[in-house]
Amino acid sequence: MPAEHSGDAPVLQLREMTKRYGEVVACDHVDLDLHRGEIHGILGENGAGKSTLMKMVIGLALPDAGTIRLDGEAVRLHDPVQAARHGIGMVHQHYSLVGALTVWENVALGEKGALDPGSTRDRVVEITERYGLEVDPDAYVRDLTAGVRQRVEIIKCLRHEPRIIILDEPTAVLTPAESEHLFEVLGEGVRREGWAVALVSHKLDEVLAATDRITIMRNGLVVDRVATADADAHSLAREMVGREVTLRTGAAAIGSVEAPAAAAGEAAEVKGEPILEVRDAATRAADGRVLLDGLSLEVHPGEVVGVAGVEGNGQTPLVRVLESLLRLETGSVRVDGEEIPTCRAGAMGAAGIAVIPADRHHSGCVPDMTVAENLVLGSVDRFAEWGLLKREDIKAHARVLIEEFDIHCPSCDTPLGQLSGGNQQRVVLAQALSVGPKVLVAHQPTRGLDVGAIEYIGGRITAAAESGIGVLLLSTDLGEIAALSDRIVVIYEGRIIGEMSRAEFDMERLGLLIGGSTAGEDAA
Amino acid sequence: MGGFFESLGDLFRALFEVFTSATMYGSAVRLGALLAFAAIGEMVAEKAGTINISVEGSLLAGAFTGTLAYHQTGSTALGLLAGVAGGLIISWIQANMSHRLTADQFVVGLTANVLVLGVAGFLNGVIDPKAASAGILEIPLLSDIPLIGPALFGQRWPLYLLYPIIPLTWWLLYRTRWGLEVRAVGENPQAADVSGIDVNKRRRQSIYYGGILAGLGGAFIVLGPIGSFETGIIGGRGFIAIAAVYFGGWRLGGVVLGSFLFGLADGFRLALPSVIANVDPPLEGAMIDGLSNASFLAALPYVLTLLVMYLITKEFRQPAALSQPFIRGLR
Amino acid sequence: MTARTDTLLDPRVRSGLEMAGLYVLSLAGALLLSGLLVAATGNSAFKVFGALLDGAFLAPGRWGQTLVVAAPMLLVALGMVVGVKAGFFNIGQEGQLLIGAMAMAWVGTRWPGPGPLLLFVGLALSMAFGGGWAGLAALMRFRRGVPEVISTLLLVFVAAQFSGYAITADWLLRDLDTTGPTRSVSSAPLDEAIRLPVLRIFGNEFNWGIVIALALAVLLAVALVRSVWGFRLRMLGHNPAVAQKAGVASTRMGSLALFLSGGLAGLAGAVMLAGGSSGFRVTSGFSQNFGWQGLLVALLARSSPILAIPMAIVFAALRTGSGFLAATGVDRKIVDVVQALLVLALLIPPAVQFIRDRRKALAMAGEEA
Repeated sequence: MPAEHSGDAPVLQLREMTKRYGEVVACDHVDLDLHRGEIHGILGENGAGKSTLMKMVIGLALPDAGTIRLDGEAVRLHDPVQAARHGIGMVHQHYSLVGALTVWENVALGEKGALDPGSTRDRVVEITERYGLEVDPDAYVRDLTAGVRQRVEIIKCLRHEPRIIILDEPTAVLTPAESEHLFEVLGEGVRREGWAVALVSHKLDEVLAATDRITIMRNGLVVDRVATADADAHSLAREMVGREVTLRTGAAAIGSVEAPAAAAGEAAEVKGEPILEVRDAATRAADGRVLLDGLSLEVHPGEVVGVAGVEGNGQTPLVRVLESLLRLETGSVRVDGEEIPTCRAGAMGAAGIAVIPADRHHSGCVPDMTVAENLVLGSVDRFAEWGLLKREDIKAHARVLIEEFDIHCPSCDTPLGQLSGGNQQRVVLAQALSVGPKVLVAHQPTRGLDVGAIEYIGGRITAAAESGIGVLLLSTDLGEIAALSDRIVVIYEGRIIGEMSRAEFDMERLGLLIGGSTAGEDAA
Repeated sequence: MGGFFESLGDLFRALFEVFTSATMYGSAVRLGALLAFAAIGEMVAEKAGTINISVEGSLLAGAFTGTLAYHQTGSTALGLLAGVAGGLIISWIQANMSHRLTADQFVVGLTANVLVLGVAGFLNGVIDPKAASAGILEIPLLSDIPLIGPALFGQRWPLYLLYPIIPLTWWLLYRTRWGLEVRAVGENPQAADVSGIDVNKRRRQSIYYGGILAGLGGAFIVLGPIGSFETGIIGGRGFIAIAAVYFGGWRLGGVVLGSFLFGLADGFRLALPSVIANVDPPLEGAMIDGLSNASFLAALPYVLTLLVMYLITKEFRQPAALSQPFIRGLR
Repeated sequence: MTARTDTLLDPRVRSGLEMAGLYVLSLAGALLLSGLLVAATGNSAFKVFGALLDGAFLAPGRWGQTLVVAAPMLLVALGMVVGVKAGFFNIGQEGQLLIGAMAMAWVGTRWPGPGPLLLFVGLALSMAFGGGWAGLAALMRFRRGVPEVISTLLLVFVAAQFSGYAITADWLLRDLDTTGPTRSVSSAPLDEAIRLPVLRIFGNEFNWGIVIALALAVLLAVALVRSVWGFRLRMLGHNPAVAQKAGVASTRMGSLALFLSGGLAGLAGAVMLAGGSSGFRVTSGFSQNFGWQGLLVALLARSSPILAIPMAIVFAALRTGSGFLAATGVDRKIVDVVQALLVLALLIPPAVQFIRDRRKALAMAGEEA
């Protein structure tokens, strides 16, 4: 595969693509050529503009300026269906499937013309057989695992026989083995059918492993184009972030898992009794699905325990239990040896558990209230007298935290919803740490943030542990887990199925474990 | 004590008489049909994610515009058509205010209901339109089935419009692309959006469908069984229709069943006094008096609906995005 | 010069002006539609407007009457505000108001004791019963997940029938006086001593109801913004999960909010009765849509207790003004239409602003990830 395509004409040619959201320029005169038979990596951190660029190609966002040429012919794309007709397909991260519909219904979703269940089903079967993507067309999507859902996404995309395939962070929900399989399928299609593939990612390792050429974006601009063969992780990281990245904290952000192994050995010594102890936790959803299935774990003061695993294996229920949002049917949660009743309003918080949830809009903050109010959500009683709020104290408290956590906001009376995502997340973090917790639970604390914010939050988590707080870090990003944890446990189908200390960190074994494979685990 | 048991016996005898009277099943089907028209449309709107409380307003609007059109033309068919238009107007307000301008759907629905009550009340006073019942059409053979035959197939003809609507709605929801998209936007609007579906458009359309059926239902009750209009004619049955959707667990069969069950309560209320009056030997006693108290009877459908909702509501069965607005980029 | 232009076009000022313009346009549209409806029936919209103004404020003694009417509307609206702030949409005030009025009538006509004490007990009990009625919806919501929007609505019809029964039942509320030629189907009138005291200012008479309502409006406004309770209530309304995490149980706080919400509607019913509505009697149709209209007041006020005060006066004015419409030959029901159109019109500008804010927020987030 040639690194440069100076000769043959690109199948997709983007010129001067520009998209503004208010005053923010998400994409700034971006040029991109995509050739038949190549996998083209589009690398950039969150907010670099790569998703916006792809949304314009798929018709989900209208460009303010710029031209899209397909086989040299200028086209205007205003919805995904039309893009599909032009042979462009996209595999979305994980938002595009409807759990209450069956696989074939999901595949049919977003097409035009009469609905034909029979032929849609046949087509699904045909594609599954051709590409080795096994899935039952009549299964309900809500019953499928993340990996199988990804297959449905791909089938949905392949059904239109696209020439151009865009994958948006496709491995976020996959185990390493599943990711490998995905890239095999892609490579096969590129070779056999001449697909042009755009792989959007912020993970260096995967871009290096799977692509032929790489375009690097930063702040809405293309900063470099390289042939993958000539690229190395370090220079890519520098281009992507725009400066040197410290590997201990930055590794998480750029998806490089080389770093932690190098940093192994500096694990904190585990001392004394656990500060947080979850024993045999089990619970089910209202419709009977098992959420937690006898999960046990311990966190000691001063250590970071990383919970690795593929999304949907019980992380969210575990966090909800620790937020007093979910009741355990059996099992217990203890803080400092004391059992805490589950699902009693405020009980976990009062016991000293502070939580940064994965979806801050679900249980982390209140966008309609001010920054100052958000900073006292869990501790308002400390700022009151005779049942009345001491508003000056609340503001003073806010100003201190805004300074300390470097939160960028017009004033502490600004509604939180008007802040950028990174600053909202800092408010959530500041709120969690300001109550003086014994245990900090962080679930995907850096998802969707830029590298600066990721480094900052990683540093805060490490600092929290150093100050004696027990930290429970849940992430699907093995790089993040590996970079920050002193001890790693693996969650699978609502249980902990394996454990390793920083010293015995083994990426391969970890990869197997999060896929549910406990072969050869008798030693653990 | 003997008096008590005698009285209890009379009570059971009264209940028996009512439940074996064709009168009751007749009214039950008529009122159940009114609920079913509204509830089927409401179910479609809810499948797409809207609790459309303006269904009450659409029913009343349909009843009134149907009456107006009949008053002008003397044609039942045109009256029914006008009813559809009336229901559609209200659902247009609901749909566009809540799924274009993103105003709160309950606020809009509530206000739309008040608006209809005001406009219909005002114009009814000014115009004083007259309506009349359409003719009874007995469907051969089917109407000969004992007890439920006449109730289901010996009615004034506008009621029969309901019967094809049931399979039509099923087909629309489960066998057309539109229905697939409607179900998708009610379950996971974000996913539908990235699949290229205009979420709010589908939601608006599903509300229009609800408005059409409710308007038809409103016109049906005037031009079918009742034959005249008054502003209290709907009297909260739109809300009972919403309850029927919950009762049915957002499944068509269940929703229709729920409508007729609640209709049965209404039919019972209407039939009881006349049935009791005609029983031989006559019934009397405190229990019978209590049973046939007008207020008790009038409250019965609502009490029953509340009771049933308390017993059967299960949140996890509802469309996942029910009553949540969709704004692009907002999760 | 450019600097000056810049300050003139300060985006906040500009968007403020645009908002004001939008409000004016929407309201004008609503009034125009109402005017057209009047014109369609062959009457003059201006004459109607004049009559409304006379009836509400200008004619002797009318503004006092408007205040009398405004009091229960404001109370109902405050009840709605409490619910909405906590995230619960109690729209069954029409029923809760009836229940409250019945409680007042029960205490006032069937309990022994000195008048002023009975008045006080009656007001308190009306709150408790109105709250209890809304509490049924809370029970259904928190035990079974029945949406309060539907249950409170259905309970209106049950309350209406229950009051209809109560005024025919001797053991409940029916006037036991059998001396007249026909027995009245209503409760007995409240004794002089149990009625709300009347204030007379500049030839206008109004009772203490409006004073109670205004005091509660201010109290609620302060409580929402300044108190820990208000903070927690708002937290629950905005995000129940955050509230639960922070120690605010939605079951307890939400039940309390619904109870208060219904309680204020119940109080409104008692204030109507003790303020002279229907001749100090509970009759059939006693509630006169005050519950529904109070709801609209709260919606218009966008859940602000303070804004609810002028809105309640506007709605009350439309109502008292409509008493003067007979002379113009226009049915007073036109007022219902105007009210609904006003609410719909006022929904538009904030919705437009919301969409705009959303865009701004999206722009800041860059719509990534």
